[in-house]
Amino acid sequence: MAASIGSLSLPAVPNGWSGEKDFKAVGKLSAATARNIEPVGAHFLAEARRKRHKRTFSEDER
Amino acid sequence: FLDMSAEEEQPSRVAIGISFGNSYSSIASTVGGGDPKVIANEEGDRQIPSILAYVDGEEFHGTQAKSQLVRNSKNTVAGFRDFLGKDFKSIDPTTARGAAQPQEHESTVAFSIRDSESESPSTVTVSEIATRHLRRLAASASDYLGKKVTAAVITVPTDFTQAQKAALVKAAKDADIEVLQLITEPIAALLAHDRREDHRPADKTVVVADLGANRSDVAVVSVRGGMYSILATTHDYAVGGLKLDETIQEYVAKEFVKKHKVDPRETDRGLAKMRLESEACKKALSLGSSASFAVESLANGIDFTLNLNRTRYDMLAGKVYGRFVQLIQDAIVKAELDVLDIDEVLVSGGTAHTPRIASNLGSIFPESTQIVAPASDAAAINPSELTARGAALQAYMIESYDTEDIDQSTHAAVTVTPHLAKSIGLVLTGDEFKPIIPAETPLPVRRTVNFTATSDSEAALIRVAEGIRDIKITQPEPKAKQNGKATDNDEDDDEDEDSEEEDEEKRETMWKVGNVVGELALKDVKKGSKVTVQVQVGADLEITMSAMVAGKSGVKGSVPGSAANGAAH
Ligand SMILES: Nc1ncnc2c1ncn2[C@@H]1O[C@H](COP(=O)(O)OP(=O)(O)OP(=O)(O)O)[C@@H](O)[C@H]1O
Ligand SMILES: [Mg+2]
Repeated sequence: MAASIGSLSLPAVPNGWSGEKDFKAVGKLSAATARNIEPVGAHFLAEARRKRHKRTFSEDER
Repeated sequence: FLDMSAEEEQPSRVAIGISFGNSYSSIASTVGGGDPKVIANEEGDRQIPSILAYVDGEEFHGTQAKSQLVRNSKNTVAGFRDFLGKDFKSIDPTTARGAAQPQEHESTVAFSIRDSESESPSTVTVSEIATRHLRRLAASASDYLGKKVTAAVITVPTDFTQAQKAALVKAAKDADIEVLQLITEPIAALLAHDRREDHRPADKTVVVADLGANRSDVAVVSVRGGMYSILATTHDYAVGGLKLDETIQEYVAKEFVKKHKVDPRETDRGLAKMRLESEACKKALSLGSSASFAVESLANGIDFTLNLNRTRYDMLAGKVYGRFVQLIQDAIVKAELDVLDIDEVLVSGGTAHTPRIASNLGSIFPESTQIVAPASDAAAINPSELTARGAALQAYMIESYDTEDIDQSTHAAVTVTPHLAKSIGLVLTGDEFKPIIPAETPLPVRRTVNFTATSDSEAALIRVAEGIRDIKITQPEPKAKQNGKATDNDEDDDEDEDSEEEDEEKRETMWKVGNVVGELALKDVKKGSKVTVQVQVGADLEITMSAMVAGKSGVKGSVPGSAANGAAH
């Protein structure tokens, strides 16, 4: 399920850029916040089922 | 959770949704998976007063019990929900408002009422009162459904303690109702509201303002991928519809005193009549621009009628309105957000019918914020029905599950989840930032976006970064004094209004590029190329990004996470 987000202008790869297999890791994500998801609604129930069966995204597209 | 086998093992339940308020309760059912419907009781009420009254041992409930507040207040019990699971010292006994006074009884709260034919009163605990009330509600639902109701999802405030929840579950059990789940009022309201879109609700940040009778409660909720997380809540236990009734009551009393030199509030009966009529008058003012306040024999046998228009009422109620707005603003501050971050304000509870409250909210939020209330949104669901409908939807979803499965899924091990601290998106030309996954999204998450490239290059840089939401404030241009004629032909009388608007500073959100996480070089991105980017973040914060041009092979990479489950908040 892909969302369409219109038109974007991407920068060109700068001179001297290098990455292994065209990929470069730069930094890490900020630490996450632990919060409570309300155990309510169809999407939560599907998520809880997914957790229980340890399904991956590709087996059960969200 | 949701093992299909559960359906066979479980003796089949008949489950409904119950909204149990201090002043009104409602019952709802989806009747086999359709739209939730709020059920009217035998008297035809969908908002059933949470009141019980006893006359010569006979029990009255709802509206019939409410009218006993005038003649038989000592044997009428009202405003008791928030006494459940509490000891006497921690309750506010004034919320009983003219009905039977709550008393200390062992470790709980009780009422001394004549609930049998015997002359001497008996001591009835709040738990027993709640049981009787819930039994009556379930009986009305059973009547309507033609099947005995055996289970329910019941809504509770977000600040209900474990002890209050346990007391409510026990009171329901004693009424032969199995509580499948207690869900919070704001989330029940949102669930019912979001059902308007039958697909998954869009990602959004919502303020749910539940404006009741005794109390008002606000929750700031992040909705991501159809899942709800509460970011902050605020509560005011002393502001709600009853305060609005009081403003009318005081106004009328003063007028009455002026005319008849006697205060109708001096007798319990006079006061009780005023309370009931003030509420009726207030409700009428939500619909019409004026309403009459009419009571027979208000004091000293004098009948009294007075006409109140909405403008005057809104003036009288201005201070109370201000407290609702304040409570909402406090919640947004507590969530470390700004009014600009709020996509929707869902106003629920009976007091949400008040037109002026919706328009006051309209003026503190930007135009982009949708105020969902009857006065501002024709498609808004009746705010008095939102929580019961949400509870009915949830009841339908889980009624066939094993009790054990429900308990497990509501356990912290399942519900406590790491949420993204910052939005993740792409860095575009000119250091512009385009968000893809918003902050406060629970992990794991995967999002895929498609867009059309407007740039042309050998290889484009897909730069994935965190974004920081900033607020840009533009001060108004110092305006040239109006000498002679202004450019447009404004009439004198709108000039003031116009200049006020122009003098306001302009506030808007904008993105700043934060921490860059990874970069991909994507070849052959031509003007007009269709590009797909996918970003996936695991519960351990490992982030995987991939990009491809339609019909060509793509590039992919991932950065391991540092912190496992995130810091507690
Ligand atoms: N049409 C209306 N216009 C204005 N006020 C209304 C209207 N309908 C109901 N109310 C008011 O809403 C209040 C009841 O709201 P609600 O049913 O949400 O309360 P509750 O949940 O029982 O109370 P609390 O949240 O304090 O426990 C009452 O004060 C009632 O007078
Ligand atoms: Mg309420």
